Amino acid sequence: MVKKSMLAIGAMLMLFPTMAFAAEGDGPSAATLDMGLNALWIMVAAILVLLMQGGFILLETGSTRMKNAGHVAGKTIFTVGLVSLVYWAVGYGFAFGGDASESLNKFIGIGNFFFDPTIVAADGESYPSTIFFVFQLAFAAVSLSIAWGGFAERAKLSVYLIFTLVFGSVIYPVIAHWIWGGGWLAEDGSQDYAGSTVVHLTGAMAALAATILLKPRIGKYNKDGSANEILGHNQVFTSLAVLLLWVGWFGFNAGSAVAVGDGFFGYVAFTTQLGAAGGAVAALLISWLVKGKADIGVTLNGALAGLVAITASCAYVEPWASVVIGLIAGVLVFLSQAFFEKIKVDDPIAAMSVHGAAGVWGTLANGFFAAPALVEQVGVGKEGLFYGGGGHQLWVQFESVVVCGAFAFAASFIVLWIIKQIIGLRVTEEQEIIGLDLSEHGNYGYPEALKKSGTASL
Amino acid sequence: MSSLHKEKRLLDITGAGDPGSLRTIREEEQNRLGAILSSSPVIELVEDLNELHDSLILRALKLAEIEMARLGHGAPPVPYAYLLFGSGGRREQTFSSDQDSSLIYLDPQNEADALTFENYFQTLAQITVGYLVDIGYPPCEGNVIASNPDWCMSISAWERKLDSWFEEPNWENVRYLLIVADGRLVGGDEDLGARWNARFYRDFLGSPVIARRMMENTLRHKVLVGVFGQLLTERYGELAGTLDIKYGAYIPMVNVFRLMAVHAGIKETSTIGRIRELEKAEILSSEEAKEAAEAFELFLLLRLMAVTKDENGQWAGTGVIHASKLKGEWKVPLKKALKLGRKLQRQVEREMRYRFGGR
Repeated sequence: MVKKSMLAIGAMLMLFPTMAFAAEGDGPSAATLDMGLNALWIMVAAILVLLMQGGFILLETGSTRMKNAGHVAGKTIFTVGLVSLVYWAVGYGFAFGGDASESLNKFIGIGNFFFDPTIVAADGESYPSTIFFVFQLAFAAVSLSIAWGGFAERAKLSVYLIFTLVFGSVIYPVIAHWIWGGGWLAEDGSQDYAGSTVVHLTGAMAALAATILLKPRIGKYNKDGSANEILGHNQVFTSLAVLLLWVGWFGFNAGSAVAVGDGFFGYVAFTTQLGAAGGAVAALLISWLVKGKADIGVTLNGALAGLVAITASCAYVEPWASVVIGLIAGVLVFLSQAFFEKIKVDDPIAAMSVHGAAGVWGTLANGFFAAPALVEQVGVGKEGLFYGGGGHQLWVQFESVVVCGAFAFAASFIVLWIIKQIIGLRVTEEQEIIGLDLSEHGNYGYPEALKKSGTASL
Repeated sequence: MSSLHKEKRLLDITGAGDPGSLRTIREEEQNRLGAILSSSPVIELVEDLNELHDSLILRALKLAEIEMARLGHGAPPVPYAYLLFGSGGRREQTFSSDQDSSLIYLDPQNEADALTFENYFQTLAQITVGYLVDIGYPPCEGNVIASNPDWCMSISAWERKLDSWFEEPNWENVRYLLIVADGRLVGGDEDLGARWNARFYRDFLGSPVIARRMMENTLRHKVLVGVFGQLLTERYGELAGTLDIKYGAYIPMVNVFRLMAVHAGIKETSTIGRIRELEKAEILSSEEAKEAAEAFELFLLLRLMAVTKDENGQWAGTGVIHASKLKGEWKVPLKKALKLGRKLQRQVEREMRYRFGGR
């Protein structure tokens, strides 16, 4: 075997003597190779983040009822398409455009509308702007899909259309600009590595505004105020969804290094796994201890909450801290779900608990756990309370949570309130009962399982 | 209650000529007992209530015999025994318990007799069950009732049936064994009842592994208290916020002491009686027995309180109590009682595993 290969290589060298010298001559420079490697990694990460939409489709569909399955799943594909166009035309320019004056740039970016990138990376760029765009777009789409949790099973299709336009062009880009695009929170040194606040809290706040304005689904609450459990129709979908999101999160967090360089993205992936693990374990155990039964739904949400929380802190904290952050997120999501149910906010996908509560916690966690060596590595902000940094970073984190949360909630609330006044947010009672598959699209997602005619029996 | 009143009640019952008047007596007595529920010792009250049920059932049986004679079937051709299972067997019926019963008659000597007896006793059982429905005892949902031919048969048929359950202890048969373990003679021939009872205990001692199967069948009902001592109330639906007293407190306790008692060959069927007998047999220390009896007493009280009258004035048991309606002074003893129930449940589980291995 070895002999044969040696023979083959010898023959090749005789036929193509230049092969032996390929390393010399005018090959790509080290800078080009570095750029190429970065580009490749960011592209892979962008694809992973886009694939997270598969997770959202399964998560939302599995957590809701059969009669809405086709609608819930299919509308995600539509809105991902629509937000891509909107973000290309306007959103990206507001988030990352560099033409605004210095004072305006604190609040919003200007430029790069209808983004028309150079076809290859320019000299000195560490990656092509095309790939950065695709990566950022995938984040915007994730934030939007998080928001849909609050709309599930009762909003009209047209509301999805209008809200996508506003969210993708203004609401999300403004917050992304504040923290990542050189805006005023970036100047303050707010630490949100991959978007616990930017992506998750923003989406969750939109979901909260929607669910408040939409009111609970029919049958969620009884006259005496007690809640009913509206179970999702497929826990296997929901579990697969969590796995898809979990894997996609490696693109989300580790991709946010936007560089291969010294391999720091590997550390980010490492803490991400620990955070997710902590969330899943803590959530199952806490539900088991408190309710006497280990709740699968809570466990799944716990894994996601661990991921959401570690998203802000994955690059700033030591391994033990990422485990702690995940564990706390798992407990928090359980308590938060119970809390929202109690205050009569009907959140079918637990978006507010998973992305909101855990997003807040993850962002604040940097104020406690950010370690000096890691802060130096990333170069944003200062070390946290537990490393002698005092309350400074905690205050910055708190500020960014409050400001971004308030902005996202207020903006979403106003937009949805206006839509509600003009065309209405919610389908009619009858449409809600027969299901949105039929009322919005004309066909059931499970045609054999549900009868189209005979709606009179309802 | 004064013995004078008791005697008068018994006279009224034995003098009643139809189910309608028995129902009136039952309602009056239940109203009286319901009114003094929270102010009297619960064990005595439950005893009193169950004496009432027993005499009503006995009278219904007598009326059915009279009706049989009137219909031309004559007197019972051979002695028979009427057994109660479930809460009736345990002398723990509430204001709204249903009927779980069986009828056993002496073996026929030939085939002609066999047919006659079968006809007579099945008709008798049907009339009795019908009367009891009229008096306000709904039939058993699981169809464990004398009017069902599967639960109305001659003593040797019954013995064969018991043997077959012990030989083939699948889930369903073990469930039946758990039901009949609470069996108690309420009317008819005492020797027949004793013979039936002896067979059950003979079979049980002959196959001790049955005890483990019986335990496994009962573990489904967990005591509704969490590791932090919190009450595990219902979270959703119309019953949100309620505690399932029947299946989350009372039944697990019944299961534990049934198993311990049967295992020790104790034939007493009421749970309090079982606890007392277990103490006498030195299986429970006097301290344990006292705690257990106190805990069970509280469950009995709450279970009686979980019964209400519906809009038609009919007694209806939900088995649940809203946690916010629990009196403050009950919360501490209730949690203590539930924790004891949980401890006992685990203790029995451990012991069975130790004795027969895990699965």
